[in-house]
Amino acid sequence: MELEFGCGFPTHDSHPLHHLKRSCKTLSTGIAWSMATLALLLLFSGTTAAAGNLHNIVIYAERLPGNLYGYRMAGHIVRQPDGTQIDITNRYVTSTATIPGPTIILDEGDIADIELLHQFDPHTPFQEHVSLHVHGVHYDRESDGTLKYINLYKDESAVPHLSYVYRWNAAPGTAGTWPYHDHNMENHNGAEDKGLFGALIVRSAAEARQAKTSSNRAHVSPNVAKDYVFYLGDDAFWAMEIDNATGKQTALGTNPPLTAQRNTNVRFHLIALGTNFHQFELPKYQWIDPGTRNTINRKVLGPLEKHVFTVKATHSSRYQDTAFASRLLGMRGDFIITR
Amino acid sequence: MRSNTFIQFAATLVAFVAACLFPAWSMAATHNVVLSAETLPNGQPAYKLLSHTSSNGTVPGYATEATIPGPTLFIKTGDKINVQLTNNTQSPVSFTAPGLSTGNSALAAPGQTKSYRLNARKAGTFAYHDEKAPMLGLFGAIVVDESNGHVQSYVDGDGTIVSTKRSQLSKEFVLFMVGSTFWGAEISRNGNQQPLWANPDLGAYQDDLLRFHVLAVGPGHTFHLHAHRWIEPGSSQKTPHIIDTHILDDLNNSHVFTIKAGTGVGPGVWQLHCHLISHMQSGMNSRIHVVARDSGQSADSIVGASPSGAIFLNDSDQPGLVTFIVSDEPAGWFRSARGDALSPVTHTKSLEIIPPGSSVHFVMSDTAGVHTITSLLWPSEAGHNDHGGDHFMIPFDETKAYRGGAILKLNVPGLYVFTCKIHPFMFAAVIVDDPATDGLDLGNTIDLISGVKNLPTSSDLATRLLHTFFVTTVPKNWQDFTSPNPWKIAYPDVDVVVDIGKVSLPAVLNARYGNDISLSPLPRPAVPGIGEVWVDTQFEKTAGKTKPGTITVVDTSNWTLKRKIALPQINMNNPHNMWPNRDHSIVYTTQWFDNKLTAIKQKTGKLASNVQVGDSPSHVMTLPNTDDITVAINGENDIVIIPAGTTKVNYALLTQSHGQAPGNPHGHWISADGKRIITPNINTHDAGFYDVEDGKIVARTATGEGQPGAHPIAIGMLPDSSKVYAANLLHHSVSVMDGDGNFIKNINLIEHYDPISGAINGPIGILPIQSPVSPDGKVMVTASYGGQIVVIDTRTDSIVKSLPCDPGCHGANFGAKKGGGYYAYITNKFSNRLIVVDPDPNGDGDLSDAEIAGAVTLVADSRVPKDDKISSLAGFGGQGIVALPNVYNGWVQNLNSQWSAGLTDQQRNPVQ
Repeated sequence: MELEFGCGFPTHDSHPLHHLKRSCKTLSTGIAWSMATLALLLLFSGTTAAAGNLHNIVIYAERLPGNLYGYRMAGHIVRQPDGTQIDITNRYVTSTATIPGPTIILDEGDIADIELLHQFDPHTPFQEHVSLHVHGVHYDRESDGTLKYINLYKDESAVPHLSYVYRWNAAPGTAGTWPYHDHNMENHNGAEDKGLFGALIVRSAAEARQAKTSSNRAHVSPNVAKDYVFYLGDDAFWAMEIDNATGKQTALGTNPPLTAQRNTNVRFHLIALGTNFHQFELPKYQWIDPGTRNTINRKVLGPLEKHVFTVKATHSSRYQDTAFASRLLGMRGDFIITR
Repeated sequence: MRSNTFIQFAATLVAFVAACLFPAWSMAATHNVVLSAETLPNGQPAYKLLSHTSSNGTVPGYATEATIPGPTLFIKTGDKINVQLTNNTQSPVSFTAPGLSTGNSALAAPGQTKSYRLNARKAGTFAYHDEKAPMLGLFGAIVVDESNGHVQSYVDGDGTIVSTKRSQLSKEFVLFMVGSTFWGAEISRNGNQQPLWANPDLGAYQDDLLRFHVLAVGPGHTFHLHAHRWIEPGSSQKTPHIIDTHILDDLNNSHVFTIKAGTGVGPGVWQLHCHLISHMQSGMNSRIHVVARDSGQSADSIVGASPSGAIFLNDSDQPGLVTFIVSDEPAGWFRSARGDALSPVTHTKSLEIIPPGSSVHFVMSDTAGVHTITSLLWPSEAGHNDHGGDHFMIPFDETKAYRGGAILKLNVPGLYVFTCKIHPFMFAAVIVDDPATDGLDLGNTIDLISGVKNLPTSSDLATRLLHTFFVTTVPKNWQDFTSPNPWKIAYPDVDVVVDIGKVSLPAVLNARYGNDISLSPLPRPAVPGIGEVWVDTQFEKTAGKTKPGTITVVDTSNWTLKRKIALPQINMNNPHNMWPNRDHSIVYTTQWFDNKLTAIKQKTGKLASNVQVGDSPSHVMTLPNTDDITVAINGENDIVIIPAGTTKVNYALLTQSHGQAPGNPHGHWISADGKRIITPNINTHDAGFYDVEDGKIVARTATGEGQPGAHPIAIGMLPDSSKVYAANLLHHSVSVMDGDGNFIKNINLIEHYDPISGAINGPIGILPIQSPVSPDGKVMVTASYGGQIVVIDTRTDSIVKSLPCDPGCHGANFGAKKGGGYYAYITNKFSNRLIVVDPDPNGDGDLSDAEIAGAVTLVADSRVPKDDKISSLAGFGGQGIVALPNVYNGWVQNLNSQWSAGLTDQQRNPVQ
């Protein structure tokens, strides 16, 4: 296993991302780079015998136009306990970095090793670091994704020519939707407000079992047709859609129109990010406030809070943020029901 | 004996029965809590516990000193608390605990004692606090526990939800999120309380059960703790909602949860922080050190910076903290909490002195606006990467304006000056002084936000900035033209250590910039103007409101004051800039330290409407073609549009694309055809060109030669829209662009100034602000904070001359001169007169004879009609200015006959 992962990624030739292997070998620091990966894998080799899957994921942090940054999925292999492995990279947008970044879906009990590569101009001052800091799931002090200035241990960053591998443990009790974001670019707070954020969905063990046995091989949940990951920034919604039939992720950009087929269930994963507070509404719909039996029709959210709910798509509406500044800045979009 | 035994038995029986029937009621206790309000060495107020007696006999071990947060009161549901508060501070204080208080809350004057009663009906953690200024330190927590001893369950590493009793807790932490600072206290297993002060490092052993009481007073937050998760309060036990971030959105909000330290993740140093990016950037973070029990490491918490720690005049072994109150109050915008005590020596209330390793702290407790806390200058060495991470924090800055505060530890000796990017005359200076040296350490060199590096502290630019600081932050240092005395600038009488050694601060500043200067009042202009000039006298204070600012209306036919408008009924706050509607029946003014646009009736000076537009609105203009109102939202990222004749914002035009750093536009201008808005984006150092019809960005052009902190603040524009000018406040330059945003050239306003020697050998403009182009397009004037009016010929885009101006020279706008031509009206923040410039007295198009035509006092005598009594700072704070009739090309053509009556044909059609 160690050899197979010598460059932080499975090396079988048929892999669509074989260019990664090449770029890895051509890097002058390639040896140090692989050693880091190897060391980490050895360190964790004792704990990988968990009941769940082991995910090997490679993500690039890249520069986008307009002084923004984003994460790009480079590869995602799922290794199941029986030894079989599935390449699910084609579910993601791989052609470009996206905002939000790839939505990573794990099951309760799974472990993910995520290698992050620093892929932008290393000469920009104060941008030598970039990281992944994740919420909710378990990780030890190697994988906090912070700088030594904060954790008093080490800089947990991808830097130019040297990747960093984070291990996320979706242990029992961590089911839910969680944000991940940079914590290290420019300073110890990171550049989460410049586009370096995404979502992690940990399916509960029950939901994962249900999904596996469902007739339509649902990729996120057997109970919903579409998942919308919705980041509420200070000036726009940033949306991503996941089709449950195919598992395919589509980055929708800012304040996009959403479409859903009539009478199907769709799930919203709202995460706020920035400085402002928000008030989310989907007029003429109501839903259950998680953890309660309360039916609500609006939700106040502060930065990095999450709110997940499912509605049955019965009529067209409009999602909107009715906080004063958000309303003026046009934070809204259509929710269109198709037949 | 028998009867006694019987009575005992009966009493026991009654008690037993009562306990069975009314468990909570029967165990309810009454607490008598005696508090005082004290002033800590840094000037912050704090509650101190003097005594606590309880009918059930158990009380915690309290700290013996006044602390922030105040003592944590632990009671049970059904308990009653009687609080007695003695005020040992210099200001009135009170005590309230929303959710628990019964009856009203009395104000205790200094020296007085008042009583308050509380009833604990439901479990939870509640904030108690002073009603008037809770953010400064008068706050604490009351923990109301269930009488059965249960606290919230925790989530174990294997996902099980484990029910927990208070007796199982190893420690409890109280964390108040106030401004942008955590104020902590620790309660040990045996109930002893220890203050942890500001941004402490918490400590715990792995697997310790910890309860966090997170509370907020003031603007909201979200609380996040790394690597841990917990149950959202209010969740069902069966299907709990597991979270790791929670909002505290109101005054008095609290969030209580239990964790098992390090469960599932192991030992580590885990950050806890507010997750608002602005608060993260302003220093709102702490840590918890979770150590393995057998590691030999300490699990004690590490105390943070303390108001009782080491600061000037207060020796201590603990790291200290000085606190600046962020205020709408003129001069004391960043006012030390002990400014009143220091100012007899320092004169300014905005200067603090700390030893290395202590911290500076800001709290936006006295302002209705949004702000940034931004390094204007700092010791060069402090920004280098060899001081354990100081370079992550210095220069200190935030991406966007916000409500909150800031906290920053300073390790390198020298001078640090902070400003607000939105209101760049708000100043705080901190000298980090090595106690071992003789004289206050200003350091050898400083770096400036504008990109200047390694500037010697003895240089003219460095001392000129110090001079500006002492003029700006001390009202008695302002130029009062009603005073018969010479202009005297008071400086603290101290020696400072600069790159050339120890010098006397006042001796250097007096030698370089003079003192006891006699002010010769100027005559009024000989030739009258046309109509009225409205001046935002932004700092003038009146008796009927707490916020500063009036509008002074000048009659230009005889240069007398026509009216003072204070609008006490809306507590008008720092009116900054104005523009009239088309028929001039209304004049709009922005409230720069609030979120409103105010409409005033021109004829009467009475309030017409007061509309929420967004945080810290700066400039207002109408679209010449539609009369719609456009307002630059300086504290945010947009221009908002209010359709003519309405009082509600219709939509906003974003100054940047989604997700980009906010532009924070300040003084915009609009093309004569109304199709284009151009904004100076102070936060992103560019001029933004926007299409009014489709709201799209046409261009964003970097100004100030791409320097990091050029700070473009105002736009001027030729009447045919062919050229656009952006004045760069901190780059001392004007950038010239064409109407589509293509860069043409940069006019350096300090070309003739040597920043080291101070030699000036030609016209200069230091810190340029408003820069309008005359309606006929021939001249641009630039009012410069440093005390100059720069006259620029728009044919050559070169400086013709600079005329003397008063300190804080700021506003400029053109109005019609009687008989033809234009006056440029110039305002000054730190003087109380209006200066009138005639850029071309003989009208020959040659600007070399530009001159000051005269000046007009802005101080009203008893005959001037006013809607409130002037109480102080009379006539000061001149900023936005507008002349009626509005004679700019595009607007002048729309004047009705009443307002165009006195204009010449050329003035009615400035571009032939």
